[in-house]
Amino acid sequence: MIIFAAPWLLVALLGLPILYWLLRVTPPLPRPQSFPAIELLRDLPVTEESPARTPWWVLLMRMAAAALLILGLARPVWGPGPEAGGQGPLLLVIDDGWAAGPDWAPRMAAGLAALDGAAREGRPAALLGTAPADNAAPPRVLGPMPAADLRARLLALRPKPWPTDPAAAAAALAEWRRGPFTTLFITDGLNSGPLGAALGAGPLSVIRAEERPRRVLAAPRAEPDRLHVTVRQTALPIAAQSAVLARTADGRALARAPLTFAPGATEATAPLELPLEIRNQVVRLEIEDEAGAAAVALLDERFRRRPVGLLPGAEEGGDAPLIGDVFYLDRALAPFAEIRRGSLDSLLSRPIAVLVLADRPVAPGREEQALAAWVQAGGTLLRFAGSRVAERPDTLLPVQLRAERALGGGLTWEQPQSLAPFPENSPFAGLPIPAEVSIERQVLAEPTARLAERSWARLGDGTPLVTAESRGQGRIILFHITATAEWSNLPLSGLFVQMLRRIVALSAGVNAGPDGEVPLTPIEALDGFGRGVAPPPAAASLALAALEATMPSPRHPPGWYGTPGADAAFRRALNLGAALPPPLLAALPAGARLLPLDNVPAERDLGPWLLAAALLLLAADLLVSLRLRGLLVWRVAALVLALVSPALTRPALAQEGAGAIATRLAYVVSGDTALDELQRQGLAGLSDFVNRRTAAALAEPAAVIPGETDLSYFPLLYWAVAPDAPAPSAAALASLNGYMRNGGIILFDTRDEGSGEGFSPGSRAALRRVTGGLAIPALAPIAEDHVLRRAFYLLNELPGRFTGAQVWAARDQDRANDSVSPVIIGGHDWAGAWATDARGQNIHAAIPGGTRQRTLAYRFGVNLVTYALTGNYKGDQVHVPAILERLGQ
Amino acid sequence: MPDSSLRAEALGANLPPLVVQAERVAATVMQGVHGRRRAGTGDSFWQFRPYLAGDAATRVDWRQSARADRLYVRETEWEAAQTVVLWRDGGGRMEWRSHLAETTKRERASLLLLALAALLLRGGERVRLLPGPPRSFHGRGALPALAAALATHTATPMATPMAAQADDPGDAGSLPRHARLVLFSDFLAPLEQTRAMAARFAARPLRGKLLQVMDPAEEVLPYAGRRRFEGLLGELPALLPRVEAVRDLYAERLALHRAALGDLAQGLGWSFATHRTDHRPETALLALWQALAPS
Repeated sequence: MIIFAAPWLLVALLGLPILYWLLRVTPPLPRPQSFPAIELLRDLPVTEESPARTPWWVLLMRMAAAALLILGLARPVWGPGPEAGGQGPLLLVIDDGWAAGPDWAPRMAAGLAALDGAAREGRPAALLGTAPADNAAPPRVLGPMPAADLRARLLALRPKPWPTDPAAAAAALAEWRRGPFTTLFITDGLNSGPLGAALGAGPLSVIRAEERPRRVLAAPRAEPDRLHVTVRQTALPIAAQSAVLARTADGRALARAPLTFAPGATEATAPLELPLEIRNQVVRLEIEDEAGAAAVALLDERFRRRPVGLLPGAEEGGDAPLIGDVFYLDRALAPFAEIRRGSLDSLLSRPIAVLVLADRPVAPGREEQALAAWVQAGGTLLRFAGSRVAERPDTLLPVQLRAERALGGGLTWEQPQSLAPFPENSPFAGLPIPAEVSIERQVLAEPTARLAERSWARLGDGTPLVTAESRGQGRIILFHITATAEWSNLPLSGLFVQMLRRIVALSAGVNAGPDGEVPLTPIEALDGFGRGVAPPPAAASLALAALEATMPSPRHPPGWYGTPGADAAFRRALNLGAALPPPLLAALPAGARLLPLDNVPAERDLGPWLLAAALLLLAADLLVSLRLRGLLVWRVAALVLALVSPALTRPALAQEGAGAIATRLAYVVSGDTALDELQRQGLAGLSDFVNRRTAAALAEPAAVIPGETDLSYFPLLYWAVAPDAPAPSAAALASLNGYMRNGGIILFDTRDEGSGEGFSPGSRAALRRVTGGLAIPALAPIAEDHVLRRAFYLLNELPGRFTGAQVWAARDQDRANDSVSPVIIGGHDWAGAWATDARGQNIHAAIPGGTRQRTLAYRFGVNLVTYALTGNYKGDQVHVPAILERLGQ
Repeated sequence: MPDSSLRAEALGANLPPLVVQAERVAATVMQGVHGRRRAGTGDSFWQFRPYLAGDAATRVDWRQSARADRLYVRETEWEAAQTVVLWRDGGGRMEWRSHLAETTKRERASLLLLALAALLLRGGERVRLLPGPPRSFHGRGALPALAAALATHTATPMATPMAAQADDPGDAGSLPRHARLVLFSDFLAPLEQTRAMAARFAARPLRGKLLQVMDPAEEVLPYAGRRRFEGLLGELPALLPRVEAVRDLYAERLALHRAALGDLAQGLGWSFATHRTDHRPETALLALWQALAPS
């Protein structure tokens, strides 16, 4: 739809017929012609009045130019924003709570379009965000002010990682309201309570995304071998798909759990199956392709690797191979748990999930009380029987012990027993039981009424083998056998490992922490898009005990909280999704007009384009007129055209074989002239630096187009990914893959990370698009001891024009290519830092800046070139002392 | 050697040597040198006469004397060269060519002039250039000098701001009587001017030939549409709304003009011919040769 900002100018279109008539009656200028025999032409009788008319197509062109001029001056606008109608200032109310993150861009587009519309109508506008601000100030109405001035305020708005505050917003509205006003409400669609009623006072238009459900990732539930993730959403009439990703601290996605919502369903659960060793690396779950704090669940210590304390029965000899008390336990637990040793006091002084007492009696008195208190607070005490325990039973046992019995000995009739299938209510349910496991001795439990339900495992004759009892938040588990192969061969079997694993997974983790009342300070907060940021200024510390019940707010943003000081390793996550109630769609306020949010096309002012078209037509008309009068030589016209269209020319590509004559760096032509020039200048600056500082001699950098240029001559391709970069063609993919396979290095630069965040929006998506078809190996951040950090200079950071973000290279060493990573991916805009102009001056300022950063950027470039030219030769150098030492021996 | 003289030499070499008054000197070896019909110095045989006392013994033609009883003396004819005066119009009108022709009219006229001069010089005639140095060129080596003189004649008016001027052959006072005259021009000047100029030379008396060199566009008027014609000598422009409508009328006028020129030449006992710059110059040269020869 097109509207005109200055429609009265269209009246001038009425003048077009007059213009047509004028153009028609005015004959074209005669073409001059020199002629010697002019006297013979003198006074020739004119036989007929010539129809000296302007050619019809020239006429058409001029009329079109005039019409375009008029239309352009009338400022047509394509796809104008929603019309608010009504009277008075336009009040723009935007829900900027947690639900705004996923569709923030369309919300901003809709808001900006509305402001543009208000600016056209000349009406003032006001802005109200319904969530509390970062500084915990309640919602406040900005304005009324000219709509154009409000644009900047609107653009400064960000979604918040906490819920909206409709009551406070309604109060702010009541305070602001003076005369009539018109409201445009861009809403989550969730319950807006009193605000909806307050807005109903004037004409109200509501914009909300109908097709897009609001999703919340609820707190995950941990089971021994899996995580159950639950996503809640507002009901949709159709089935929907979603997925939850599990990510590590460095951002790698380890697993993906697809979820399916039935039509009308508000909740879906899926298991996220991960081996425990892998699961311990997961710190973050997030809903795929959903940006927002509610779509992120941070997994803290409760979900992670459990510290397990081992305490042997005898102080010495516990680790003796094959016969030590904890030898088998240590072997079984080490792969998935952190094992701690020491005295009981030292073990209990730090958070610990499981404490294993292997045939160690508990001394009555202080030791018994400390252990009991620890179990009450959530500890899991795992005990193994043995001769010592059988002699001196204590209170920290799940059952009363009766006697010790031996099976299959020389003095008994009974045969060694095997295990019965695990009961349904046992945590061990489902574990396969190997046939060769046999029990020869055990301690017997005093039969009580509750013995059956406390038994997690039984022998074939029904006597309990593993019993457990809950005490407070904790649990005491007893294996009625020793942890050595003395009484049974269970510790030798794989079943033993699996049973231990389930027990550890069952433990509550280190939730005891230091103390329930210790305040935890915010370490890292999530922003409205679910990204980790520094905590906002208003964020305050939070007592550990209160963490569970806290609804995130400006004072307590979701994110990581930890103890200050030395024990900073202890941290807990405050998750928004766990605190939120299930999202529910609210009904529209009465009398409101509903507008869809999605597919609001960006408003586009067509005026300049029309004027440009008119000017082009007039320029063409000038050329044609000159041609008709014979004053134009086509060759001159072609020359002029060639001069005015330098933008159409491509950068000079690398001549075929140019790279074979001299070593030179190359960059991939992006199609954006400015970016290509930047890359060229950057590589030229780096080549100069490398030539000055090292023995390498680099020629002028070359421009290449993958698939068209032969890449095999170039040691390094620099690829600054433009936000609109298309996916490479099949030929380009084949060429690039071959290049990487044969030892080439491609440096991808998105130019928007670290301190340059937001400089080139969209280039990360472009990077995914560009690299989609490439054979990129598994990536990891460049480690401290990576060759890239020491190929020439020793570097701790790898800054370019920006700094502070991760730089990625191949994780695994590939011997085929001398362990050289075929790709390096980062976003530091190195070319910008290296770029020099003709006088050798740096063109772009570094951010945050400083000579040091520039120098380091060049040093990284030198390391990069050295790395590309010499491979991991320098990596070998690192091992020289070790090699020499070995040779010396 | 100027380029134009080279081209003229090449052109002249293609033609049989021009022989003026070939019927009078049938036996002449050297073309172009025609006898005075008297005994005198020369190479051509004229007659045998009986030996008279006082004749040098070396003059006796012994071969002829051996056939008879008397001694015979061989006499040769007295030979003299004729002067041919050449002029080509160097005016602004001639410095023009249309898209139909390769060369301007002046270039073509210069070429024809030099070709003719080359033939004449090879034939031993004397060539005089108008307006030019008051001396005749003769001998085969004179062609470059002639071309140079022609070039200076052309260059002089071109160097002045008043380049768009009409050219005039000048006065006939210093020319030898009964010389032959060849005028190259487009003769587009008003008929009265041409008549006055021709009369000046005819009174000397000189026998002349007019060769009208014209551009093909001047004959067929190939233009169309609305045109403003501008003269080359600063004449008032003429605006024609539809050129194609007056093409026939123009051809008619041109024919009338040529007829008047032909009448003018005939009245003086001269001849008149036309030449188009898109035609081969050899054709015109042959016609000139034919016009010069039978007189």
